[in-house]
Amino acid sequence: MKQLGSLLLAEIIKEHRHSFHSKMIYFSLLVWPVINFVTAYYSFAPFRMGADSPLARFISYEQLPLFLLTGYLGYIFYWCLVQSSWQMSFERQAGTMEMIFISPVNRLAFLYGRSLSSLIEGVWLFFCFVLLALFFVDGIQLSGWWAPPLAFLILLVSAIVWGGFLCVLFLFSRDSSFLYTVLDEPMLIFSGVRLPPMAFPVWAKVISFCFPLTYALQLIRALLMEGASLQTMLPSMGLLAAVLLVLVTATVVLLKLAEKHMKKTGNMVMY
Amino acid sequence: MLIAENVRKVYRVKERKGWFRQQWTEVEAVADLSFRMVPGKIIGLLGINGAGKTTTIKMCSTLLTPTSGTITVDGYDAVKDDRFVKAKVNMIAGGERMLYWRLTGRENLQYFGSLYGLQGQALHNRIDSLLLQVGLYEAANTPVERYSKGMKQRLQIARGLINDPRYLFLDEPTLGLDAPIARQLRKHVSELAAQHGKAILLTSHYIHEVEELCDEVYIIDKGRLVAHDTPEHLTKSLHLDTALQVVIPSLSDSLDYDLRQLVLDYGGSREIAETDEQTWEVTLRGKTDMTTPLLSLLAAHQSPVLRLSTQQPSLEDVILHMADRRGA
Repeated sequence: MKQLGSLLLAEIIKEHRHSFHSKMIYFSLLVWPVINFVTAYYSFAPFRMGADSPLARFISYEQLPLFLLTGYLGYIFYWCLVQSSWQMSFERQAGTMEMIFISPVNRLAFLYGRSLSSLIEGVWLFFCFVLLALFFVDGIQLSGWWAPPLAFLILLVSAIVWGGFLCVLFLFSRDSSFLYTVLDEPMLIFSGVRLPPMAFPVWAKVISFCFPLTYALQLIRALLMEGASLQTMLPSMGLLAAVLLVLVTATVVLLKLAEKHMKKTGNMVMY
Repeated sequence: MLIAENVRKVYRVKERKGWFRQQWTEVEAVADLSFRMVPGKIIGLLGINGAGKTTTIKMCSTLLTPTSGTITVDGYDAVKDDRFVKAKVNMIAGGERMLYWRLTGRENLQYFGSLYGLQGQALHNRIDSLLLQVGLYEAANTPVERYSKGMKQRLQIARGLINDPRYLFLDEPTLGLDAPIARQLRKHVSELAAQHGKAILLTSHYIHEVEELCDEVYIIDKGRLVAHDTPEHLTKSLHLDTALQVVIPSLSDSLDYDLRQLVLDYGGSREIAETDEQTWEVTLRGKTDMTTPLLSLLAAHQSPVLRLSTQQPSLEDVILHMADRRGA
């Protein structure tokens, strides 16, 4: 456990120095999601949002800012990890991937450590913004003090599991960058960041349930916007746990396959 | 001991045949290669480009799986028990990759050390000792991107030693380094084997480096072992020609005739060239030393000797000779 802590700390320092070397990056990490959030909010402004609007069946107008805030917070958590996984190609180019795989380090610890450190670096500023903004928006309903920490924990754990899975996908080939295009924008559209998935047509609903962010956002909104109790959330939490279990299993299996593939083809250094 | 037995590595390579067609071909990078690494000894792996040196190193360091054959490290199989093997090996490559440039030297070592489970004071002490060893203690907190090429290479050595490996693979470690820095690194490598008991496998394009450092040399060509011996035995066993060079002020017809006879008697060859200083440079090549008969001959012709030198065959001559022989 102590070793894992030491590895995590080293990974955090590495990520910090390597990817977040300039203060301007933090500025962009705040400004970019805030702009996205404001753009999304005002995109709804020209449309009819009254009680008889199509969207009112799923979300009240008063709760729209909170809906978007939680949506964007969840998206930023997951987006950071798509970015971080994409950066695996740097490790390949720099030859440092070989130096990681020549060592006996626990591969899962490395992947999840990498995800956690990217997450901490990438989201803390926007997370603070959301916390602050929550004081000024309407529609917050909590069952107890435990709801916000639980919501945070759900986001953190699910995002790290997602990040580990993505890292493995990017291990397979230097040409995995197409995954960035496949995963980023569709995740924003279909996971319910800006619109509730229940408002989607059936085909879009099917896509939305391929992203674990959909399940995580449902839980977070239930905790922060509906004041759901633990008991009522158990089925949804079970569903998310099952999805995460599938992802962890897939990560373990794919990691073994990816390393075997790299050792066979020698593509660990090709870029 | 590291024992590689009948190791073979085949890559599948894709060849484009037009826009939509592609063909897979198999390329044998290493074929039936066997060798041993013993603690305290340095072995050299020599060959021309594409001989399979780097592939061999990567198989030994668990980064590649052999297609067939076995590699065992202190009894552990490099494929099945790779976790145990990884703790015992490390690799240092030439060039400026394999480091995080935005991190300082110390942060790089902290990161790579943590991959080997090192932590706390033990890691701190190990890093200090390595930084002192490679002469980077003063620059420990400088980002690597500000290091010179030689400093980066020295940091690579510290990184390769972070887990105190018993078996160290050096792939062109002095590539592109200035002569004084390369000499310093060679001294360091020699100490690692002699004083710290490391088993070292070295590949280098600088043959004199291999001659200077290695106890044994394996010469491979197209992945196949073509010779294995000490550098001295390799040069002697091939009976390559020794070059004897003499510079004289003039060359009479009779001396020219006698020189031709001398070379014929000893089964050698000769080259004669007039230099810019209006002198004659005579080079005699042969398997037998012709110094004494040559000097007697020159004395008989009353020809003064302006310069005399002998050039023994080097390992480089061995490699070139083998490459010529296999290419023929």
